[in-house]
Amino acid sequence: MKIVVAGKGGVGKTTVSGTISRALARAGHDVLALDADTNPMLGVSLGVGPEETDLLVAVRQGLETGETEHEETTEGFVRRFGRDAPDGVRLVVASRIDRPNPGCACCGVSAESLLTELESDGKIIIGDLEAGIGTVMRLQEGHADIVLVVAQPTAKSLFIAKRAVELTDDRGGRVIVIANRVRNDEDLEVIREAVGDCEMVVVPDDAAIALADREGRAAIDVDPNSPGVRVLIDLADRLASLAVPV
Amino acid sequence: MATVAERPRGLRLAVVGKGGAGKSVVSGTLARVLARRGHRVLALDSDTLPGIAWSIGAGVSEEDDVPLNSAAWRDEKGRWHLNKGVGPARAVQRYATTAPDGVRLLQIGKNDRRGVGPNRASHNAFWQIVQRLDEPSSLQSWTFLGDLPAGARQAAYNWAPYARQFLLVVEPTYQSMMTARRIARIMRTMRGDDVEISLVVNKAAADGDGERVQEFLDVPLLAVVPVDEGVTTAERAGVALLDLVPDSPVVRAIEGLADVLDAASIERI
Repeated sequence: MKIVVAGKGGVGKTTVSGTISRALARAGHDVLALDADTNPMLGVSLGVGPEETDLLVAVRQGLETGETEHEETTEGFVRRFGRDAPDGVRLVVASRIDRPNPGCACCGVSAESLLTELESDGKIIIGDLEAGIGTVMRLQEGHADIVLVVAQPTAKSLFIAKRAVELTDDRGGRVIVIANRVRNDEDLEVIREAVGDCEMVVVPDDAAIALADREGRAAIDVDPNSPGVRVLIDLADRLASLAVPV
Repeated sequence: MATVAERPRGLRLAVVGKGGAGKSVVSGTLARVLARRGHRVLALDSDTLPGIAWSIGAGVSEEDDVPLNSAAWRDEKGRWHLNKGVGPARAVQRYATTAPDGVRLLQIGKNDRRGVGPNRASHNAFWQIVQRLDEPSSLQSWTFLGDLPAGARQAAYNWAPYARQFLLVVEPTYQSMMTARRIARIMRTMRGDDVEISLVVNKAAADGDGERVQEFLDVPLLAVVPVDEGVTTAERAGVALLDLVPDSPVVRAIEGLADVLDAASIERI
């Protein structure tokens, strides 16, 4: 199964991707966490650590300077540009960050191509997308079984969430909105109003997640029982049950 | 001391940082604060997602095309050209809208469900205009303030060649700090010593947040902006902080930032 996570920058996409990946792996699933953001940070939320995350990005950047050889196969790509994260999650960084074009022309690797080529066969692939709606627009059949759209109660975030939902609906894809940093009914109301009548999970504003952000740690390591983290673990359970063929 | 209007050259600023760090709130508020002090401010918005327009209080229309879409045309080979007679000065005159406090706002069209397509003219026009924005003598005394799209990769686009000072807006979170460090590296590679890079710490929640971020990034710290409920409320409503909560501590911190920027520019004269 392939799940992608979309939304405005700073709404919590990476926290959602990292926490769900870890929770799925803890439950015994084979998880590939694909960092398809052109500003890759998924390592931080998986609990790999900030400096290790930047090292992984540097390996990817090494393609440019010739320090790293190009990789033509998807499996090789996962091996070479990936590393193991806690709970047995495999993390792979898909994008470079220093160029207007994030893909690598000679390998032909892009977030979309990886999503297409990676076989899920029993694995659960979690793709943390670039902020905004660019990648969501380019998603095609076979790229994702479920699109998680992360939204927070701000006009800018909802502008993007609304479009991501519409685009996924237009394609007939399944979308779940994750209402993040919800403090009160008013917050929830503005989100509900913007995205309309679609499946929604509400993540309350959570001190443990905020602390994880400040310290560069995985939220699930800071407190697996905090209210926000629990909602995401429950969501992971639900997603896993969808992956089992009926 | 020369008044702002008499100075030969205005400020040349661009605001960069991670998505959600508060670039638009800082740049939108700063634009108006500078305008109230006598700067002729041109705010430049190259984001395909709505940003500064809300924070500056100009509002955002979801349906209407931005004026800049009529500034360029495409030839048979698919190349874009500015309309005849449209240089940077005329483009500002004709296609920049007027925001509160007399700030002029030049912006590209925003992505909707149709994608970039309908707004491609404005993107190309904008790009061509900013490349030559520093040339017209009539704009020399203006202050330019660009709100750049989020993220590290965006720094590699040449959206703000006019800028001499890049303000990194950074939250005291690792993701925000790491993004800023990546941006600073890309900027230095691209522009070398041609630009100053400095720091605005935003959403400071604890003592020492400013110092902590500065230590991580090792660039001059110009302002520490506290976390504030007023911003949350303004952002939820999509209105300018200056209009909703004019006495917010965030506004005061950004006034302090304007002091620092102004003082430095006088020193340079």
